[in-house]
Amino acid sequence: MKPLVMTALILTALTGLLVVLSRDPARQVFALAANGLMLGILFFVLQAPDVAYSQIAVGTAVTPLLYLATLAALRINKEHK
Amino acid sequence: MSPAARRVIFLFALVIMAPAARLVAHSMPTFGAATSRYASTVNELAPRLRHVSNMVAAVNFDIRGFDTLAEETMLLCAVVGAVILLRGSRGERDSDKAGVLPGRADIARSDATTLVCRVGGTALLLFGAYVALHGTVTPGGGFQGGVIASSALLLLYLGEGYRCWRNLIHSAVLAAFEGVGALVFVLAAAWPLAQGHPALDNLLPLGKFKDLYSGGAIFLTNCAVGLAVTGSFGQLILEFLEETRSPEDESEPNEADT
Amino acid sequence: MLPWLVTIWLFGIGLYGIITSRNYIHLVGCLSVCQSGSYVLLLGIGFKWQAGPPIFYDHPPGTPAVDPVMQALVLTDIVVGAAVTALLLAIAIQVHKRRGTLDPQHLRPLRPDT
Repeated sequence: MKPLVMTALILTALTGLLVVLSRDPARQVFALAANGLMLGILFFVLQAPDVAYSQIAVGTAVTPLLYLATLAALRINKEHK
Repeated sequence: MSPAARRVIFLFALVIMAPAARLVAHSMPTFGAATSRYASTVNELAPRLRHVSNMVAAVNFDIRGFDTLAEETMLLCAVVGAVILLRGSRGERDSDKAGVLPGRADIARSDATTLVCRVGGTALLLFGAYVALHGTVTPGGGFQGGVIASSALLLLYLGEGYRCWRNLIHSAVLAAFEGVGALVFVLAAAWPLAQGHPALDNLLPLGKFKDLYSGGAIFLTNCAVGLAVTGSFGQLILEFLEETRSPEDESEPNEADT
Repeated sequence: MLPWLVTIWLFGIGLYGIITSRNYIHLVGCLSVCQSGSYVLLLGIGFKWQAGPPIFYDHPPGTPAVDPVMQALVLTDIVVGAAVTALLLAIAIQVHKRRGTLDPQHLRPLRPDT
């Protein structure tokens, strides 16, 4: 149990670093999805299934979609100018 | 302020805060030790007092229900703000017609994608409703079921294409979900107040432990929040996707649906 | 000890990302990293070794369970955090429409024409 929690925490820290280091927003979307998934797994390991439900649905499905739609809207605005 | 100056100030702040952070990290309670007597009291008493088996739902909607009411209002405000920002520059006129961007590539969908998304989207919608309804018994609840149902809307968009999807999902319906959900939550807080009890008091019959209907007002507010979150996130998705299709020039008329 | 260090780490690099960002969309992502630090902190406080989730459907009430109050806080926080992220992205779209750039270093506050 203990190594599992420690591994999940360290992986969360690493994916967080990955989100900050991806400067290009189009690549940051995938880092965000990975961070969301890792956070969901961490919450599950910390015996919080409700929170994991919420985090996985929000962090891997809805939030990356909002970012991708924003990037598409920006690109279309720029092309139409 | 130049970026280099910003970095210097950040390093300066880091150097000053580092000993404080180290002190805090050492004085925090041991990870994994039981720290909160409030939590153990809730775990002992709530099944008996409220007949629910999901403690998180009991805390969310009854014991700390006021905080959740405030969070629900925050959700409503954030979504209304985002919708106003995005819709305001386009105009309210044709809010029911799917925007068409001339010259946008129309990539054909394979039949396999449409089939999988139809089956999967419907199943996911049902699953979201199941998670929301069983919030008082098993892990789940209004918030979780609502976001799962809104990601089912996304699968439907993937399978059907934008124009068909806009014919299925109307913005007015989603707005009604959101409003009704928030209104029911506010009424559940105000109605006991009008009767002379404390706000958000559990006046409905409490039901049986481990039954689907249990917890009285907890079940009601659970379902209301599920509706509200589905409506909120659905509206967000709809407005953001419409943003990728709205023409820049407002004088161009939208093409009629074929 | 590790959860508190991970919290400090996540908040620190999130803040560093916000300070040195060259794109508003990247900035909003770093803000969400800061927020996830607070989730780790709250759930870390509530955790107990050899305890199960606070759901008493399969186990009778009385089995050791972790803190449900912290989970309730984080739960609503995640959903509202996503809505606030959407609001920030909508603001970013509007800024791009009006000013043509998303670089925080090149955007200055609007000043009224005198």
